[in-house]
Amino acid sequence: MKNQRRSLRFPGGRPRVTAVAALLAVTAIAAVAIAATATGAAARTNGKPTITLATNSWEGSLANNVVAQYVIQKYLHYQVNLVTIDEIPAWTAMVQGKMSAVMEEWGHSAQYSQDINKTHKVVNAGLEGPNGNIGWYVPTYLMQKHPELKTWRGVKKDWKLFVTPQSSPQGQFLDGSPSYVTNDQALVKNLKMNYKVIFAGTEAAQLTEIETDYKQKKPVLFYWYTPQYQNQIYKFSQVQLPKWTKTCAKLKPAQINCAYPPYHLYKVMAATLPKTAPSVAKFLRRFNWTAQDQNQVASDLAVKHMSNAQAAAAFAKSHAALIKSWLSAKTPYTKVEPPAFGT
Amino acid sequence: VSPTPAASSVAAAEAQVPLRLDVGRLGRWLAPVCAAVAICVAGIALSGFHKGFPASWVLGSGVPNWFDRLDSWVTTNQSSNFFLNTIIGGIGNVLGGATNDLVNGLHWLTWVGVLTLATLVAWIVGRWRTAVFAAVMVASFGILQIPNGGPNGISVMWGPAMTTLALMAVAILISTLIGIPLGIAAAVWTPVSKTIRPVLDVMQILPAFAYLVPIVVLFSIGNPAGIVATVIYAVPPLVRFTEVGIRTVRRDVIEAAEAFGATRMQILRDIQLPLAAQAIMLGLNQVIMMALSIVVIASLVGAGGLGDPVLQALQTQDLGMGAVAGVLIVFMAMWLDRTSAALGHRTSRRTGSRKPLTRRQLAALWGGALAVVLVAHYGLHLGDWPSGWGFSIVDQVTNAMNWVTTQLTGVSESLSSFLTLHVLNPLQAFLGDFPWWLLAALVGAVAWARGGPRRAILLVGCVALIGFMQAPVGYTFQQTTSYDFSAWDDAMLTLSLVIVALTLDLVIGVPLGIAAYRWRAVDNALRPILDFLQTLPAFVYLIPVVALFSVGNLAGVTAAFVYALPATVRATTLGLRAVQREVIEAGQSFGSTRWQLLRKVELPIARPYMTLAVNQTILLVMAEVVVAGLVGAGGLGLDVVTGFSRSEVGLGAAAGLAMVLMGVILDRLSQTGQLEGGQGQ
Repeated sequence: MKNQRRSLRFPGGRPRVTAVAALLAVTAIAAVAIAATATGAAARTNGKPTITLATNSWEGSLANNVVAQYVIQKYLHYQVNLVTIDEIPAWTAMVQGKMSAVMEEWGHSAQYSQDINKTHKVVNAGLEGPNGNIGWYVPTYLMQKHPELKTWRGVKKDWKLFVTPQSSPQGQFLDGSPSYVTNDQALVKNLKMNYKVIFAGTEAAQLTEIETDYKQKKPVLFYWYTPQYQNQIYKFSQVQLPKWTKTCAKLKPAQINCAYPPYHLYKVMAATLPKTAPSVAKFLRRFNWTAQDQNQVASDLAVKHMSNAQAAAAFAKSHAALIKSWLSAKTPYTKVEPPAFGT
Repeated sequence: VSPTPAASSVAAAEAQVPLRLDVGRLGRWLAPVCAAVAICVAGIALSGFHKGFPASWVLGSGVPNWFDRLDSWVTTNQSSNFFLNTIIGGIGNVLGGATNDLVNGLHWLTWVGVLTLATLVAWIVGRWRTAVFAAVMVASFGILQIPNGGPNGISVMWGPAMTTLALMAVAILISTLIGIPLGIAAAVWTPVSKTIRPVLDVMQILPAFAYLVPIVVLFSIGNPAGIVATVIYAVPPLVRFTEVGIRTVRRDVIEAAEAFGATRMQILRDIQLPLAAQAIMLGLNQVIMMALSIVVIASLVGAGGLGDPVLQALQTQDLGMGAVAGVLIVFMAMWLDRTSAALGHRTSRRTGSRKPLTRRQLAALWGGALAVVLVAHYGLHLGDWPSGWGFSIVDQVTNAMNWVTTQLTGVSESLSSFLTLHVLNPLQAFLGDFPWWLLAALVGAVAWARGGPRRAILLVGCVALIGFMQAPVGYTFQQTTSYDFSAWDDAMLTLSLVIVALTLDLVIGVPLGIAAYRWRAVDNALRPILDFLQTLPAFVYLIPVVALFSVGNLAGVTAAFVYALPATVRATTLGLRAVQREVIEAGQSFGSTRWQLLRKVELPIARPYMTLAVNQTILLVMAEVVVAGLVGAGGLGLDVVTGFSRSEVGLGAAAGLAMVLMGVILDRLSQTGQLEGGQGQ
């Protein structure tokens, strides 16, 4: 049998041995390296869990996180990782205990009732400070030229201004990332407006489009929000939509016909965090700042191209008292219950 | 993308292509075309009272609802169910642990160690040039820096590159462990082959965005999710290459072995597998390239690595940061591609210019490498690449890209509005108004002409199923978001994008491919550009595309066009090269001019390859339809992106399935006859 097998072998066999040997050698070296580091890795973190914070796709989210990371690493001595992730997957990850906290939440009542109120896998960590405002905007130069755009009735009348090849023959309403809280398709339908909602797909694509139009002083109507550091660079004006009411808030998503609710931005964390990292949980509850603070850090990062550590250090230097208050047990913190934070 | 999996089928199809066009053949073609025209006319006439797909036709409670219910079952039972908790959770932990260990291991090796090993491996499997190339590519991870691009604001990309490398290594290892045995099984047992083929089709066409949410639900965020997503996407070509490789071993060789009394196992192990080694290595090479093309997607589920700066660049619209990070991903792909390609050559034949190394020489080399690693780690206490040894070209790249964009804006804007108003919008309106049953009939007629009644039935079924992916009117998705989803309308919109992108690719790609075939200089100039375009993550050019063409369908078409162009050019050149010299010489001896030769001899003979080029282009355009959703194109791409970013499992899955059905229809329509195994990537 053995001889027969040998006779069947083709000349191509030998180099294959070389290749396999090469692969084996690489594996062996890798294994040595793994064995050598396996013991070291555990020691490095001093037995403290690594804190992970979710960075969502808007710059303000990163601004919150770099400052929190700076404070936690410097004063509480936990390693902090920032993980880029969308909003809802971040909730899933908190439920699974793979994400420690999210520093800025907008609404998300469905997740709130499921993960906080029902399964108790996530806990409310109090208000973040800034109030969020979502709405319809146009560049200020356009509002000055067409004052009727101040209200939705004017926008409804002036649809011809906003016709683009993409939306033709209707006016274009430029929405941003589909991950953001939007009722715009329903609003356009229920207010009987001659507009087509175009999702830019990403906030970056939306902003690029707005910038291009802004430079040429063209008309553009879009979904936008505050706090947003770009509002310091561009002048945008808000369109008044029909007033938000409690009755409207109870409507089904497809039937909504009023403005976005006021949002009190809040923080959430994994329910396990107060046990595994009590000092971090206490800090996260007391973390509270203003929209102005956030914009400052965000524009340091995005416009001045500071590194995360530089931007956080610069903020900490000019706001020493604020940071001290976040770490003091005497500081009370505000807890917020739905529906106070909006839908 | 390599056309090899279909090479055998092309050879088979080639045999059927006669040198001149006979009348019977023309008649066979004319009938379906006439029928198609008649159906179109009828469609336009009838569309007045019956548009698209009836909204009331819903399967049970609606396909999105099925997936929503499945998802909520999984989330509520995750901690109690043995399979979900122990098996899936265990797999996740093992993958995550292995990757973390490997990342730590790569850091432990120090930058000197990684550089030495990369160069050494490249030299052993290849030549001096391979080794120098590997060294330069690996060094670029340290040299090309991105200020604030890495975690915690570091600018040296060595760390993220090692994370990506570890992730790729684990994903490729798992792909090999799954792909090769599965390919062997498919080659040995035909029922296995028949069963897994549609599964592989789904894995290749279903956009990663559609299965990211379920993966996050099952494996949570981080490395395991990134690896699972990568394996799903990258494993099909390996299975196909392995199967084709084993199946194409010549019958007479096997018969000779059988005559010597070899058992089936012996034939497989000692004849078929060694002879298929090159095909398997090619498959592995494909796995590497495909795995690297979804590095950015893996970063979307928190896997980190080189995809992070690309995403961060999107967030701050930092053109330079995205471009440099994209280039680093391309460099890693090129390094691994060249090294594995060299290994593939070694495996098949020993024609290297260097004498093979003896066992002693090899031992000395590995010993030397080990010594270097130990000295670097324990003696010199080195770690990651030193931050002083590099520079940043981010600002220069940003300025250059801004300058180019500004220069082109005028032209691109008028082009964009012309194409949108006069091509895309009318096409979209036409397809949107087309009654579904007429389209089904049309597809059925073409499928019948091209592949017989079985294919016709299959494809008509697929057309109808697309419509049935919709949710009942007024359905509230799981996360209570308000979003209009009509599977049929969105599929028609997507179809219009695919048609335009495909036309552009063929109109531009085929002449480029012919030029590359005719003139060596063109070929040489094109090759690096095509390599680059093929591996550059699409996320890098999203912002420039929007700046040039505005948010909308045309931006999406452009992204898809750019992505698929290299495949079109390559397949065309390859097809023309396959024309045998003797045929050309015969033509020349009859006094044909160069142009006549191309038109009358070379192009007709290369037709099977052209069909393959069209097929490949369609599939790549389909793959990019999702990315089109990120720059404002509507349709199924946007549905899938929305499903992912809002964690709407039902929406993402239903839209993803509609996309798979569309991909299958387009793929089968663009294949001639009964092609085997050639539904490429």
